Amino acid sequence: MKKNKVWYVTKKLLIFVVSLLLLSVITFYISRLAPGDPLVSYYGDRVEKMSTQERNWAEEKLGLHEPITVQYVRWLGNALHGEFGISYKYKTDVLEVIAGRIGNTLILGGVGFILIFVLALLLGVWCAWYEDRLPDRIVCRIGTVTSCIPEFWMSLLFILVFSVQLRLLPSSGAYSIGKSNDILDRIRHLILPITIVVLGHLWYYAYMVRNKLLEEVRSDYVLLAKSKGLGKKKILFGHCLRNILPSYLSIMAISVPHVLGGTYIIETVFSYPGIGTLSYESARYKDYNLLMVLCILSGAIVILCNMIAQAINEQIDPRIRANEMTEESEVVKQ
Amino acid sequence: MRFLRHHLYDGGGEPEDDLFERNRKEAFENAKIEINEKSRESGEALKKEEHNDAFRIVGIQPDTTALAPLKKKWYKDKPILSMVFLALVIGGCLCCDLIMTKNPTYMDLMNYNRAPDREFLFGTDTMGRDIFSMIWYGGRISLFIGLFSTLISTVIAVVFGGISGIAPQWLDTLLMRLTEILLSIPNLLLVILLQAILGTANVVTISIVIGVTSWPSIAKVVRTEVRQIRSSEYVIASRCMGGGFFHLLWHHLAPNFVSSIMFMVVMNIRSAIVSESTLSFMGIGLPLEIISWGSMLSLSEKALLTGSWWIILIPGVFLVVTLLCMTEVGNYLRRQVNQKERNL
Repeated sequence: MKKNKVWYVTKKLLIFVVSLLLLSVITFYISRLAPGDPLVSYYGDRVEKMSTQERNWAEEKLGLHEPITVQYVRWLGNALHGEFGISYKYKTDVLEVIAGRIGNTLILGGVGFILIFVLALLLGVWCAWYEDRLPDRIVCRIGTVTSCIPEFWMSLLFILVFSVQLRLLPSSGAYSIGKSNDILDRIRHLILPITIVVLGHLWYYAYMVRNKLLEEVRSDYVLLAKSKGLGKKKILFGHCLRNILPSYLSIMAISVPHVLGGTYIIETVFSYPGIGTLSYESARYKDYNLLMVLCILSGAIVILCNMIAQAINEQIDPRIRANEMTEESEVVKQ
Repeated sequence: MRFLRHHLYDGGGEPEDDLFERNRKEAFENAKIEINEKSRESGEALKKEEHNDAFRIVGIQPDTTALAPLKKKWYKDKPILSMVFLALVIGGCLCCDLIMTKNPTYMDLMNYNRAPDREFLFGTDTMGRDIFSMIWYGGRISLFIGLFSTLISTVIAVVFGGISGIAPQWLDTLLMRLTEILLSIPNLLLVILLQAILGTANVVTISIVIGVTSWPSIAKVVRTEVRQIRSSEYVIASRCMGGGFFHLLWHHLAPNFVSSIMFMVVMNIRSAIVSESTLSFMGIGLPLEIISWGSMLSLSEKALLTGSWWIILIPGVFLVVTLLCMTEVGNYLRRQVNQKERNL
């Protein structure tokens, strides 16, 4: 049994590593195939005045003259030593550039994620409690409408109302100039982006919680609990909610990449200095080294979250794993 | 039962099969009535119960049967309002030549950034174009991108999901891993890079880019459905008779999974329109000259500075209302499918 577990973990790890490797190959090739001049991001406008000789020299210096495969192998070799190269635009080590920005994204995404997680659960329970009655219907209506609004347009509306008309909150950046250590100022800058991150995803998950709860309420054990004399509150929170929590956890694990993708767009709209704006810039201006690390970073998060979700699901419902095993054994027989 | 019926139709069922089918149908009907009674949701079921009750109190009672409507009204449970709105928007965009009051591409430099008034119903944008005309004209392009990219992604998804569903285990695992890896590249970056490969954005290339990046979720559903029915007798029979992959997919597999992906396809149209507008807004999608709801919104940063709310609000409201109507229709489709599943 214990051996099984070790094998299980190593298998997962192996899949993880291979996936990352494949991911790096794909991004490397796609980004290299896309036309565009990486020299522009390194030298700026000076590129236009360069002679062919200077260009060739510059390309050789950055290692861009070799075939893509050779470039990839060299990149991989360096990456395994922990050297990801320099960012063409910022002229410093890629990891340093990212380290300066990642905190902002983690705050935005992390706080947003936690809020979504808690609020969706509360809202879902609230709706299930008042099933098909007025509060539930109102919340459902509002929820459907908010889930239809594209994030960028919602940000525009919020900026229009709260920054332009009411002049209450700042519309861009993570802090005012010269106030980078002022926590209150940072919080003020965070309010709008976080609200939009939350509003953009909240209803999708709240609705899921609501539907799962309603399904659960219709099962037989609720009848039993009722006939034992348990109150509505106790049944809903003590039994139904507990039963849906594991699957909710796995759904939330899958949701991490979606929330992350949402923050990318919101960061660009608010010109918030995080990973999102960074990757947008790096993809547009062909900052190859930066792009690779960012892709692998977010790819790793996505793959990891999917694996966590799968592991949770297998724990809840061992049939999934059993299915896999029988199918595998069938293959062996064939 | 869906599958069974299909099987009968395909192979020409034997009499025993027929009898079996009828018995099953009866059993299903009984079960259905039981479920209805249990849930006590519909009034009809209640009435049925009253009339079957041997111990009911005799005497004059209000005649409930006469009042009960014989047939469910045709519009019951259907999202009529959304359908009407959607029809209005689509119709307006298709016959935009009749509605437009101005030339949508003409830049009237005398009247730029005008608030809505009688001449310019929805105002003009920062380049002096009439927003009312642009809405209908641009809606055509937005809707076209939604439909075309959904067509692309659905075709890819059905073929990919079909292959993955029928293929042996190792190939299936490989294909599914591949989709997972593709999914793990941030969508935004993938779109930027693909768009760069295809060259400057126009309506067709952006549809291709969106279509190529949005198929995996449908493919997964198709795969699961195909895996469930791939070892049914009629599929095996068809394969034995030498049916090729596409014959199998079109005649035997597709009729079975079409209802379950319908909802996702409608949602895909929706998300394609959203991605087009997001990309155009960020300046990586359609350029300003090609009018769509997204590219109209890409002027909104300038509009924020001047506080001209109509440039932001009006195209956005059209966008959101269309999306909302599509969601309602999609949810209706999902309810239909779920109902069937519950009855089975």
